[in-house]
Amino acid sequence: MLEDGLLLLFMHTNMAEPMELLCWGGDWDLPSVHTDSLIVLAYAKFSGAALAVKSIDWTWRTITASVPQLHFEGSTVTEPTQILNFLRKQRFNADYELTAKQGADTMAYIALLEEKLRPALLHTFWVDAENYANLTRPWFTSHSPFPLNFFVPGRQASLALSRILLTKAESPLLNITEVEGKIYSEAKECLNLLSHRLGNFHFFFGDRPTSLDAFVFGHIAPLIKAPLPSGQLQKHLNQLDNLCQFCNTILKNYFTDASAEKRMDCSPTATHDPVDANLQKLTQLVNKESNLIEKMDDNLRSSPQHRPHRHDTKPSAPASENSTRA
Amino acid sequence: MSLAAEAFVSQIAAAEPWPENATLYQPLKEDQILLSDSASSLAVQTFLRMCGLPVLVSCRANAEYMSPSGKVPFIHVGNQVVSELGLIVQFTKAKGHSLSDGLDDVQRAEMKAYMELVNNMLLTAELYIQWCDDYTATEISRPRYSSPYSWPLNHILAYQKQWEVRRKMNAIGWSGKSLEQVYEDVSQCCQALSQRLGTQPYFFNKQPTELDALVFGHLFTILTTQLTNDELAEKVKSYTNLLSFCHRIEQAYFKEHDRESQSGSSRHSKGSLP
Repeated sequence: MLEDGLLLLFMHTNMAEPMELLCWGGDWDLPSVHTDSLIVLAYAKFSGAALAVKSIDWTWRTITASVPQLHFEGSTVTEPTQILNFLRKQRFNADYELTAKQGADTMAYIALLEEKLRPALLHTFWVDAENYANLTRPWFTSHSPFPLNFFVPGRQASLALSRILLTKAESPLLNITEVEGKIYSEAKECLNLLSHRLGNFHFFFGDRPTSLDAFVFGHIAPLIKAPLPSGQLQKHLNQLDNLCQFCNTILKNYFTDASAEKRMDCSPTATHDPVDANLQKLTQLVNKESNLIEKMDDNLRSSPQHRPHRHDTKPSAPASENSTRA
Repeated sequence: MSLAAEAFVSQIAAAEPWPENATLYQPLKEDQILLSDSASSLAVQTFLRMCGLPVLVSCRANAEYMSPSGKVPFIHVGNQVVSELGLIVQFTKAKGHSLSDGLDDVQRAEMKAYMELVNNMLLTAELYIQWCDDYTATEISRPRYSSPYSWPLNHILAYQKQWEVRRKMNAIGWSGKSLEQVYEDVSQCCQALSQRLGTQPYFFNKQPTELDALVFGHLFTILTTQLTNDELAEKVKSYTNLLSFCHRIEQAYFKEHDRESQSGSSRHSKGSLP
């Protein structure tokens, strides 16, 4: 009833199509804290679609609705990919300048994000005990109405855990702690790959943002901006300057009202100096190696059967061996 | 495998050259193996052939249980056992054989992204069609999966596997999809691969890489496997450059092998040669 009234009001006030989007609310300089909602919001900004954004915080929709959800003329669309297709059909297309090959690349990179990065993101926010207890659960509890605030975070957390275990934990890795190592290393590799692909450009395909930029933004923005108590993935991401820059550029150009003063965690200067790029690569490599060495060291100390074989160096470490403890 | 174990294995792997008696294990060809496992197995075999590494294919009914990760195929090299294409690629790289050394960072990123696309879309679609489509599951998947076992174990194992796959589909959000949507996803995936391939002989121009092996494994298996209907094969056939790609790789790497056993092995016993 209230929603219908709001919709009618919008129809009167703007003669353009009033599409309504339900999503989670914003915080930490972001228009929304939820990855899928961010993807849709970013794409809408890129393609110039005017969306009436309605946040589901403090409503019963926190438990009933699958977010994000787009309402338009009676039809409802969920899931970011479907919503983006729908927007494209409504002629809000940010991808029309892409070649066929770039379109194919978009699909491939989105698959990479979903397979490699999303499990680690889910883990960081919903399964990692410290983050969940200190950040995620309080936030979602405070943004849900009574009595749902008892159920909403728990339900999301169990969904996240089951998704990680079912997709990533094959039979010998039934324990979540063993899966952790694997998913974080894959996520770090994925972030490195994205950073290599982005290079020194503003967006992934030249100067105009496309759906791939929306997807990448949706995944990494919460990771950059959220004040996580224990965030090894966040630390890794902060070293990838071009990805931080990418995220801040989008926030500055498309979401200025949501991000008034940004305390940027990473370097603000976007130098195209090749020396800096090499230094950045070297830093990435050294940190990757040192993370692996640290993990290997811990594992070797704790596993009895490997104690006789002490391996101090990783077999193919090209960088210098003054590994900084990340 | 945990990171420490992986690093340990890599170092041991680097110490020895590739032996002559390396073996690849997969489920029984004629009766037991399913579409998705056959595709993965063919991808690994193609990759090893592309690297020029000899491997014997051995079919065992309990291959899935012998595998360290529960996935087939797996290879037994020296005194190590490695399963899944990603880990096998790493393993062969540690032994000094690699197909993707000539790629720069951006190309490597693209290659990994496309491999994930194939795994995410094609493999998931294959699993969906095999286990979540009731007709296919009843007619083909369950009888084949449980064929080496006697009653009642065959029923129990088949339903257990089906339940596992359905749970996984639920977790990633595919359980709400209809069969038409899945076929549409396969078509889009093939379109993306076709556009990426263009008119080149391989995905990264002159040299084949593990991406070519993976794509060949899946597409060839889809084209040559008889399911309850031909829709999946039709989706792939509509992209001519993918068809010629499969032909090219088959000619280049499998022609010296007995052709009948290669193409006949992935036929399900119901179908006939097209």
